Amino acid sequence: MTVLKPGLLTSVQAGPRRGMRHIGVPASGAADPLSLALANRLVGNAWDAPALELTAVGPSLRFDADYAIAIAGAPFDMQLNGAVCAAHRSFMVHPDDVLDIGSTAVGMRAYLAAAGGIESQHVLGSNSTYLPGRFGGFEGRALARGDVLAAAVPRSFTEIETPAEFRPPVASSWAVRTCASCETELLEHDARDALFSQKWIVDRRADRMGMRLDGPSLAVQSAGRMPSAAVFPGTVQCTEGGSPFLLGADAGTTGGYPRVAQVARCDRHLLGQMRPGDSLLLLERAVDDANRELAEKADYWQAWLPDMRDIL
Amino acid sequence: MPHIESAGDDLLSVRLDDVFEIQRVATRLRDAGDWIEVVPGIDSVVVQFDALSLAAPQARDLLQRSIRDLPDEFALPDAVVDIEVSYGGDDGPDLAAVCEQLGMTEQEFIGMHTGTEQVVDLVGFTPGFVYIGGLGERLAVPRRDTPRQLVPAGSVAVADGRTGIYALPSPGGWSLIGRTTHALFDAGADEPMSLEAGMRVRFIAAGSQ
Repeated sequence: MTVLKPGLLTSVQAGPRRGMRHIGVPASGAADPLSLALANRLVGNAWDAPALELTAVGPSLRFDADYAIAIAGAPFDMQLNGAVCAAHRSFMVHPDDVLDIGSTAVGMRAYLAAAGGIESQHVLGSNSTYLPGRFGGFEGRALARGDVLAAAVPRSFTEIETPAEFRPPVASSWAVRTCASCETELLEHDARDALFSQKWIVDRRADRMGMRLDGPSLAVQSAGRMPSAAVFPGTVQCTEGGSPFLLGADAGTTGGYPRVAQVARCDRHLLGQMRPGDSLLLLERAVDDANRELAEKADYWQAWLPDMRDIL
Repeated sequence: MPHIESAGDDLLSVRLDDVFEIQRVATRLRDAGDWIEVVPGIDSVVVQFDALSLAAPQARDLLQRSIRDLPDEFALPDAVVDIEVSYGGDDGPDLAAVCEQLGMTEQEFIGMHTGTEQVVDLVGFTPGFVYIGGLGERLAVPRRDTPRQLVPAGSVAVADGRTGIYALPSPGGWSLIGRTTHALFDAGADEPMSLEAGMRVRFIAAGSQ
């Protein structure tokens, strides 16, 4: 398939890199792994097969062979040869078909999966593109006009749809379950209350590395600095001037700002759909409750996504 | 027994004293294979566990037992790595400001920075970023108030009594004192990082030999 227009930021993403944070290699991978899994499910792939991650404005692609494809995630406007087409179902495309993906009114990302997976480079345990390090995926970079990608040509194909109960809602206001972290107790009393009750607004500066949250400034002891320590996707750091910064899939592996909260594993996949201007509540949970809610979410999704325990 | 605290619903942090203890504990925990990630910091190690197969209290017990039962014998790597640095000028645009803060000339700074063997405390932040300890109080400057959006690859920087090297272009808040061509990170290699925690490093001024 040939990229006619690349969109805002389209990259090959698959599962995360695991077990390499101690040498500074971030997770990378789909910012919304649940939507990646839903797209791959429709074309019969493993949940973490390499797919195209679309961001805010999608690409235009011309197909040069027969492919079985599917799209899941934020509700992007899409046209196949000028006719509106829908997400959450698989369909065949043929040589010279043009898929034109526009923008999305809510949410941030969607995934275009192709049967067999998008051919891409496997580096350090994953095919995901780590954009800052320029490795993995398609030449380690976002797609550009004129790039030519390939996937397997399917031998057989059945059109299927995602059942309605397994289509996650995409909204512009979010609430994610969150636990205290190592430096939560360094927050002054009012700041701790604000962190877990304030409606935060996702700042204009939001990308795969993370997003600044706009709202009241958080007062923190220790002058806001500490010896560098491990951070993860979902860590909320309290940065200069008291702004919370919520780390994403491409975030570095250690940081020197107080870790004041950690988005619980059950809701980390939602971070990939938050866009500038969205509102976000950090709902405080005890660790035991967050563990239980993770198990509940995995159980619910397992009926459609058998690998849900790996996806979350 | 070191102090264990919760860092999130699937994360536990252990406070430890020095790079030897941190590497001893982190290496053994990694070898045990019980953890998704084992990530050292400057004074801590954080482990990530699979909360779907191990609830937090059990993970804490396992971590406690694993640390208690660690064998004492452990050796840090004994390699000494020479890293050639082009100090100041366009390669180290903050060197003049750092020297002004410290009240010394650039030549004095370079003399002190190259004069002693230093130890890699930590590899992290982004691929190939290394924290090298041991600058001492005399060369300690705080991080910059405003981080740079883009620090060029190979930049050698200082903050908080440490030297850092940016192997890849990245945002960064440390003061840039020079640049090296030493290859730190190769994504295609079996061992992608050329430096590891505990290794000793000697900085050499480019053109001085």
